[in-house]
Amino acid sequence: MTTATGTAAAATPDTAATGTLAITGFGVLSGAGLGPEALAAALADPEPGNASELYEEPLPRPEAHALVDFKVRDHLGRKGTSFFDRATSLGLVACKAALADSDLEVGEDNRDRIGITLGTTTGSAKSTSDYSRDTFTQDRPYLVNPLLFPNAVMNCAAGQAGIWFGLKGPNATVAGGHMAMHNALRYGRNLINCHYADALLVGCVEEFSPHTAWAAYFMQSVEGGDLPAGEGAAVFVVERAEEVRAAGRAMDAEVLAVEAGVFDPPGPDGAFSAGLETCLRRALGRAGVTPDEVATVATAWNGMPRLDDAEEAAVTAVLGADVPRLRVTEATGEALSATGAFQVAALLARHRAEPGRDGEISVITTRSAEGAAGAAVIRGWSRVGGHHG
Amino acid sequence: MEMSTAVQQEQLDEIREIVAEVLEVEPEEITETSNFANDHEADSLRAIEILARLEKKYKVEIPQSDLPKMENLTAVYQILAERAGWLD
Amino acid sequence: MRRVVITGLGPVSSIGIGAAAYEQALRQGVNGVSPIECFDTTGFPYYMAGEVHDFRPEDMVRRLSVEEWGRTSLFAASAARLAVADAGIDEDVLASSRAGSTMGTTGGETQILERLTADSLAGGPTGLDAGLVRQVSSARLSQAVNRELRLTGDAVTLSTACSASNYALGFASDMIRSGETDYMIAGGADSVHRWSHAGFYRLGALTEKACSPFDRDRSGIITGEGGAAMFLESLDSALARGARIYAEVLGYGLNCDASHMVAPDRASIAACMRLAHKNAGIRPEDVDYICAHGTGTPANDYTEASAVVDVFGDDPPPISSTKSMLGHAMGAASGLGAIASVLGIRGSFLPPTINFSTPDPELPAIDPVPNHARTADVRIAQVNGFAFGGNNAIVVLGRMS
Repeated sequence: MTTATGTAAAATPDTAATGTLAITGFGVLSGAGLGPEALAAALADPEPGNASELYEEPLPRPEAHALVDFKVRDHLGRKGTSFFDRATSLGLVACKAALADSDLEVGEDNRDRIGITLGTTTGSAKSTSDYSRDTFTQDRPYLVNPLLFPNAVMNCAAGQAGIWFGLKGPNATVAGGHMAMHNALRYGRNLINCHYADALLVGCVEEFSPHTAWAAYFMQSVEGGDLPAGEGAAVFVVERAEEVRAAGRAMDAEVLAVEAGVFDPPGPDGAFSAGLETCLRRALGRAGVTPDEVATVATAWNGMPRLDDAEEAAVTAVLGADVPRLRVTEATGEALSATGAFQVAALLARHRAEPGRDGEISVITTRSAEGAAGAAVIRGWSRVGGHHG
Repeated sequence: MEMSTAVQQEQLDEIREIVAEVLEVEPEEITETSNFANDHEADSLRAIEILARLEKKYKVEIPQSDLPKMENLTAVYQILAERAGWLD
Repeated sequence: MRRVVITGLGPVSSIGIGAAAYEQALRQGVNGVSPIECFDTTGFPYYMAGEVHDFRPEDMVRRLSVEEWGRTSLFAASAARLAVADAGIDEDVLASSRAGSTMGTTGGETQILERLTADSLAGGPTGLDAGLVRQVSSARLSQAVNRELRLTGDAVTLSTACSASNYALGFASDMIRSGETDYMIAGGADSVHRWSHAGFYRLGALTEKACSPFDRDRSGIITGEGGAAMFLESLDSALARGARIYAEVLGYGLNCDASHMVAPDRASIAACMRLAHKNAGIRPEDVDYICAHGTGTPANDYTEASAVVDVFGDDPPPISSTKSMLGHAMGAASGLGAIASVLGIRGSFLPPTINFSTPDPELPAIDPVPNHARTADVRIAQVNGFAFGGNNAIVVLGRMS
């Protein structure tokens, strides 16, 4: 039977609020390719590719930050993967890369204490929509594929990752859209700090499909934006920072704070900016960081003036105009829920490539058209010297 | 009317293709008597998928109560032949 | 650590909207299953579902404009509205407090996605309604709750399929227990749609007319829908404002089968029960009632009942399935089950398993509370939730002592 070494009831007061997380490894699969190097290169020279051959169905435009040559069997083999949808495939490949990148070892003694928290917008919109489509177009409406049914449900990627990697701890999917990474970090932090799990794969997945391409196109158009759609996944191995430190293990980053809230949608009254400002100040306060210590702000900028301006107003109010902004979506596209995970991955990719940035503090902001806002504070390191936070 | 062996072989190969695709193995690995569950790791979901694909391709109805019997290629062929009226 | 209590209930179900109507229906064993109205069932051999025909979101939400939100988000917001009213807390106080929401779901707003799919088939993608496209994100379920009630804290949608409400209830309780938040609304929401009706039918998991969990002749689920919301706060907060305390959230357990996407796993489910008991600080013999996952499929009910016997022995507490009355409300299911359990704790009764005719000789130890609600002293109730992906979540609720 499964036995927990810790319980929720045994956790000390306020740990869910105050315990920081260590990131001990990560995997990223963006439109630029697999790995932090590809992402770092794309950040330096952002350029969408041509995805017009990827699907038979019409796309709104050929440009996309998509993995046009991606085949799951190249990464995971053929057996057991041929019925995975793209979102599940991308998610599993990122999970595999994250586990390979971390010194966390999964074995029989700890697999029931290691879980998964994956963020999404609505799972694989293509899988669900195709399922619906079959009910309209087949000879009889029930002539759908049984084997593909789980793909149509939003927790498919996390569930399949649990099976593939044998992780029997809490297995969660957070539908957050643009808020997904901040939601997933807060949800995952609770699981870790209340001792439901000792380690988690936390990240977000979004696939490129005609469905997401059109969704990105419509959402961009309505807001006066022009960002091509993107896709991919970024997954982080997350553990309790104090335990990682006590064990003398290195970490890639420490998640010092994550705050989120919902306010009135971005608009001329400035209520939304004030809300994001509150999240930012709370995050800095709980991280014990002053505004002048922040080296970079990875924003959720995506070319939508109403949202970008509201975000920028809040960031400027708290951190000033001079802190360098990193616009990750220029390199990753409108990747919906994956955007927040790419923001974190981009910062860590840069840390790994530039030891001179060791110990730098970064802020990750996000926002949604519905009025949700989030801010996270992390401190990152390269792997030169094996930093222990 | 008796069915020619050639037609029968063709149908058997078609079914073999379908089964192989669902079970993610090479068609050659599926013999007429190899057991889907024990030899090819088929589970209940894949068994239903095989049934669903056969129904769609041959435009027949196969009741799910036939599933337990559909354990190898020969058995599948017999059930399908019965339902599709190939034996009439 | 703070103790966490439930002080408001907001069920939006096919057998009743609001705590009083829902409790009455549970006590009477009302059947909420009826012919499907929300989509054209032509060509489907089976055409029943647990739809909430009486749902009038325009009469329930005040701040959201109903044309901007999908049915599932409106289920969530309406349920939350009911829970807050039931809790008797001042809305302005709530809006200026540390408060948030977390809602579970299986399909989220895929009813909207299904409509877009039909529109795209008819006229291609270029003419799609951009306003509808924006409504597809399932993040909006919890965001709708926050926007409706002006909550400025977390809005977390947990899309862990059919156990999602239990995930949400557990997470919300931790947010309060740890002191991170003072008030949380937790539950789940889902809507009936074609694709899942078709999928369950094709899996052979759908039954024709009536869902009869634990019956020898049970033959599957009936899809359902609705919203479930519970208002959570700390015990001190509830006492300070003189709130009616329905029940305490004692703890919960989560684990993952990691073996199969759709087949339930007896050992893993048993392990999840033990985890939940341990985290709640109780022993199996303390449990007076189990609100079953109880889908009515041969596989689920056999596996669940067997796991119950593994954990509780040959004389387990009564275990009934609200899905017999509601159909399977998917992501709202365990939330509606939790509300039923809370009402049972408060009102000393066990909700029945209706449509029950023949005991299953394979499940000799099971007392499914057949057909009629039963008066019983329920001090501790266990709410089971299982899901695709092996996402098990079990919550333990207790009477306030």
